Amino acid sequence: MDASEREQYRAAIHGDREAFEMIIRAQSRTLFAIAYGILQNREEAEDVVQDSLIKAWKMRWRVRDPEKFPAWLCMIARHRAHDVFRRRRAVPFTHETIETNEPETTDTAAIDQRLHSALAALPELHRAALTLRYFEEMDYRTIENTLGLTNGALRGILGRALASLRKQLRPALASTD
Amino acid sequence: MATVHDDIDNWLAADLYGELSGEEQRQLHTHLVECAACRKTHQETKTMNKILEETLAQQKPDPNFEQRMLVGFRNRIPERSGLLRLLSDLMRMRAAQVTAIAAVLLGLVQLGRMITSETATSPAARDRYANEQLFERPSQVVGTLEPARPGALAKSDELAAGKPKDVVLAPPPPAASETRSEVERDSKAYPATVPPAQAAQAEMVAKEAGGEAVVMNSAAEPSSAETPAAEVANRKLIRNANVELEIISFDDSVQKIAALATEERGYVATTSSQKQANGKLRGEVIVKVLPENLDRFLQKIRGLGELKNQTLGTEDVTKAYFDTDARLKNARVMEQRLIDMLKTKTGKVADLLQVEKELNRVREDIEKMQGELKYWDSQVQFATVTISLAEKDLEEPAAFLIKERSQLALYAPDVEKIYNDIKALASSRSRGMQITNAQLNRDYSGRVSATISMLIAPEESDAVIARVKSFGRVENFQTQTERIAQGGSGMSENAKTKRDKVELNVTISREEQEQAFQQTSLRIRTSSVDEKAKDLRTVAEKQGGRVRSSTFSRDPDGRELANVWLRVPMKNYAALMQALDSLGKVENVTVQRQDRTGTQIDEANAPADISIQVYRQGNIVSHQSGPLATLRRTLAQSAGAIMWSARMIGVAIAFFAPWVIAIVAIVWIAKRVIRARR
Repeated sequence: MDASEREQYRAAIHGDREAFEMIIRAQSRTLFAIAYGILQNREEAEDVVQDSLIKAWKMRWRVRDPEKFPAWLCMIARHRAHDVFRRRRAVPFTHETIETNEPETTDTAAIDQRLHSALAALPELHRAALTLRYFEEMDYRTIENTLGLTNGALRGILGRALASLRKQLRPALASTD
Repeated sequence: MATVHDDIDNWLAADLYGELSGEEQRQLHTHLVECAACRKTHQETKTMNKILEETLAQQKPDPNFEQRMLVGFRNRIPERSGLLRLLSDLMRMRAAQVTAIAAVLLGLVQLGRMITSETATSPAARDRYANEQLFERPSQVVGTLEPARPGALAKSDELAAGKPKDVVLAPPPPAASETRSEVERDSKAYPATVPPAQAAQAEMVAKEAGGEAVVMNSAAEPSSAETPAAEVANRKLIRNANVELEIISFDDSVQKIAALATEERGYVATTSSQKQANGKLRGEVIVKVLPENLDRFLQKIRGLGELKNQTLGTEDVTKAYFDTDARLKNARVMEQRLIDMLKTKTGKVADLLQVEKELNRVREDIEKMQGELKYWDSQVQFATVTISLAEKDLEEPAAFLIKERSQLALYAPDVEKIYNDIKALASSRSRGMQITNAQLNRDYSGRVSATISMLIAPEESDAVIARVKSFGRVENFQTQTERIAQGGSGMSENAKTKRDKVELNVTISREEQEQAFQQTSLRIRTSSVDEKAKDLRTVAEKQGGRVRSSTFSRDPDGRELANVWLRVPMKNYAALMQALDSLGKVENVTVQRQDRTGTQIDEANAPADISIQVYRQGNIVSHQSGPLATLRRTLAQSAGAIMWSARMIGVAIAFFAPWVIAIVAIVWIAKRVIRARR
C-alpha cells in the first residue's frame, strides 16, 4: 500500500466523503466478487455491496489503522453476504427445482447449470476466492490479504476447489472433449 | 516426484493461475511427462478453467456498476450540514472528547464562582485603582494644610506684631483656591466694612502670620513667607475652649478665675453652681478673654486644680461673614432706591403700598444681617472659655443604709390559724411591725398555703422573727443583708450608717406538703395480709404517726398485696421499726435520707415516711399451665404462623407480579419483532 492510498483511507476514516467515494470506485468490484462468490446471484450481490458500503461509512471511525481499512471493508461484505445467504436458505428454494426440470436445450446451458450447482456445493470461502481470481485476476497474495487468510493458505484452497469442481463436472468435461 | 503427484491439484491450480516459480514449473512438467493420470487431470483442469472463465465472464459487473454504487451511497447517506457533521466527527476523536470534558469542567468551575459571587479582579484593574489613589493624594494634602495652621498659631504667642500693613497689601497668591481669591476680592471691594473695633483681631492675625512665616522659614526661603500670611490677614476666626477641672473649693476657684480674667483683659460672663447631696459643689464659669490671650489664660487656669479635660476649637466664619457683608451692601442700595421711589410719589396707591411692603422686607433683612455681623464680631473679638468645675470627692456617698431581707418557711397542721395569729401580732405591735402583703391560698384539692410579707422596725426585728418562728415548724430561714450607698458610690469614712426596716417574707404550708426528711420502704411477708394491714394502723397510731394512704389487691392466682404509707416524727421512727418486726418477716429495707445542709431543721419533729408492702405468695395452680393449656397455646401459635406466612406470600406476589408481567410482555414483543424482521 503506497502513501497516497494510505492518506486516502485515513481521510475517509476521518469523514472525508470524497476520499470514501474514491474508495467506493476502487473497491466495489472486489466487494462484488466476494459477495457474488458467496451468493451466486448478481442482484443480491449488488445489494450486499451497497449495504456494506453504507455500513462501512457509518462505522468508519472504528478503524484505527488505515492500513487495515480495505480488509475490514471486505470482511463487512463477507459477513453481510453470509447473512443474506443464510436467510435465503431458510425460505424454500423453489425456482431451482423448476429450472432443473426444464428441458435442456443446449450443451453450454447444461454445462452452465452443472457448473453453478458444482460451485454451490463449495464452501463459501472457496467460492469467494475463485470469483476474486476470475473476476479481478488477483494474484494469490492479494486474495489472501483481501480475505484475511494466512500466507500460503490459498494455494491449498484453490487446489481443492478446482479438484472438487473437476469431479463434479467430469461427465460434462468428457462430453465437450 | 511423489510430492508433486500427491499435491497435483494444488500444483495444477497454481500453474493455471501463474503462481509457480520457474523451478516449480520445471518440476511439474517433469512429473506430467512421467505420470499419465496427472496429465489427464491437467487436461481436465485446463478445460474446466476455460469453462469457468467463459461462464463467470458473463457474471462480471457491468461498467456502470461503480457509478450505481456511488449513486446508491449518495442517496442513502445524504451529505449533512457542515456544522452537524463537524460536531459528530469531532466527537469521535479522542482529543476532541478530552477537550469537551475539560471545557465542561471549566464551565462548572466558572458557574461555581458565579454562584459563590467570588469576583476575580484582574491585575490590570488593581493597578489602575492604585494609580487613582495616588493621584488623589496631592489634593488631600492641600486640604489638610488648612487645619494644620492653628497648631502653628499656638506656638506663635511670644512673637511680636510684625508688619501687618505689608501683609494686607501683599498680592493674592497665584495658587490660592477659589474661596480665598474671592475673599481677597471682597476685602478689597469693601475695605470700609471691616470694623475698626477689630484692631485687636488684626493684630492677632498679623502675629499668626508672623508665626507662620517663622515656621515656614525653618523649611523654605524667607521670601515665600508672605504668601500664606496674606491668606489669613482678614480671617474671621471664632475661638473657644472648654476646660474641666477638679478643684478643692468651688468658691475660691471662681474668685481666682475672675482675677485671672481681669488680668488678661477679659471678664467672667456667667457663673452657675449646683449643690450635690453630699454637700459638694459642681458648677460652670464662662469667661470671655481676648483671643490673643487665650492660650496664656488657659495655662494659668490649669494651676487651679486637676485638669480633667480640655478642648480648644477655632471656627472660621470668614466666608459667611463677607457674604453677609456683601448682601448687606446690596440691600442698602436697594433700600435707598425704594426710598427714592417713595419720594417721587408717582404711580398708583396700590403700587406705593407694594413699594412700602418691599421696603419693610428689605429693612428687616438689613437688620437681620447687621445682627449677624455684630454677633460674629463679638464672637471674634472675644474668645469664650467654658470652665466646668467640680469639687473633689464629688462622688462620695452621703450615707449608708443597711437593708435586711429574711425568708421564712413554716410548716403547721393548721395554716389558717397561724395566718391569723401573725396578723393579730402585727396589729398589736402597730408601730414596730407592718404587714405589706398577705395571701391565703386554697386550691381545688383542699391544700392550703399562705404567704405574708411584712416590714419590721430594726430594733424590734429579732423579737418579732423569734415569735413568728415559734408558731410552727421551721423548714427554712434565710437572711440577706445589703449595704446601700446613698448619694454616690464607693467608700466613705465620714458617711453615717443607718439600719433600714427589715423585710420578712413568711410562707406557711400544711405539714402534709412537707417533704419527708427520711424515706423508708420495706416488704413484709405474711400469711394473712388483711389482718396485718390493720395491725399496722394501730402500731403507727401508737407511735404518734398516721397512715397517709393504703391499697389492697388480690390477683386471680390468689396473691394478695397491701401497700401502706405511714408518716411518723423522726423521734418515733426507731420504735416503729421495732414494732414492725413483730408483725412478720421484714424484707428489702431501703432507707433514703435527705440531708438539707445549711438550713435550720427541727430534726426530732421532722416527718419520716415509711412505705410498707404486705404480701402473700399465691399457691393456687395457675390455669395458664397444664397439658391442655399448652396444646391450646401451641395450636394458636401455629395458626398465627400460617396466617403470617400466607400474608407474606401475598405480599411477595403483589411485589413480583408487575415485574413478571412486564418482562413477559417485553419478551413477547421482542419475539414478534424478530419474527417480523425475518
